[in-house]
Amino acid sequence: MAEFTLDCMGEACPVPLMKCEKKMNELKVGDVLLVSIDHSCAMKNVPEWARTRGHNVEIEEVDDGEWEVIIEKTN
Amino acid sequence: MENNNSSLSGRARAPRKPKKSQIPYAILVTILILGLGLYLSSLGAKLPAYLIFGVAFGYVLQRSRFCFTAALRDPWITGSTSLTRAALIAFGLAAIGFTAIKYNSVLSGADQTLAMEGVAPIGLPLMLGGVLFGIGMVISGGCASGTLMRVGEGFTMQVLSLAFFVIGSLWGAHDMTFWNRFNENAPKIFLPDIFGWFGGVVVQAGIIVLLYIAALKWQEKKMGSME
Repeated sequence: MAEFTLDCMGEACPVPLMKCEKKMNELKVGDVLLVSIDHSCAMKNVPEWARTRGHNVEIEEVDDGEWEVIIEKTN
Repeated sequence: MENNNSSLSGRARAPRKPKKSQIPYAILVTILILGLGLYLSSLGAKLPAYLIFGVAFGYVLQRSRFCFTAALRDPWITGSTSLTRAALIAFGLAAIGFTAIKYNSVLSGADQTLAMEGVAPIGLPLMLGGVLFGIGMVISGGCASGTLMRVGEGFTMQVLSLAFFVIGSLWGAHDMTFWNRFNENAPKIFLPDIFGWFGGVVVQAGIIVLLYIAALKWQEKKMGSME
């Protein structure tokens, strides 16, 4: 199980989501991706996208207006 | 208190900074809004009502993460239509409220011109502007309301969007006499004039329901889930 990070600080919607989609294709099942975002809209649509795809998702607000979305690839 | 190792990630991460309480800011902003409301009431009786609507709209927009850009963009990028459906419901509610207000003004004796107030012609400037606005809002990451909301949240990149949004709006307003020349022969369509007041609402609601079903089907096809 490997862990990857993706820095999307300062990126507006939909860039974080598209980066995430690309990065997830490189991951193997069981790998974990940590996405750092500070765009409130991406904080909603990235987890939503990942959950609909069936991945495990956790959101953590690391600072005011900064989030870490942790996605575990399951399929 | 909280575990810094999330259950999904094995890596130990730096402990979180303790968050500062934002309650004092909330109290301060509430006092400022109340003060502004009192000041506005001395200028005009309707102005505080506008302020209340504005503040309420901003609050709902921020809390719900409602985004018109995403409503039109996400179906193409990810296939998710949850915001598209939210926008459709909002249009449906707005149509009912809009009809009620217009119908009331006609009942209380307003002439046809008032009933058509706020109905814009469907002309070349509208189509051209719609396409340009659509491209611009996806690049800048927010439509008008979304940009304003995120500037309030402190997302600095969209302060830039706001600046050019203001410049563009002023420029457009300045050239409006030129653009209106294309609107002279453009049709003005107001559904109650064509289908009657009740028929207008039924036709509008029917179109919205059909779009809603199409949005559901689209998401099922693209993402394999109707959620």
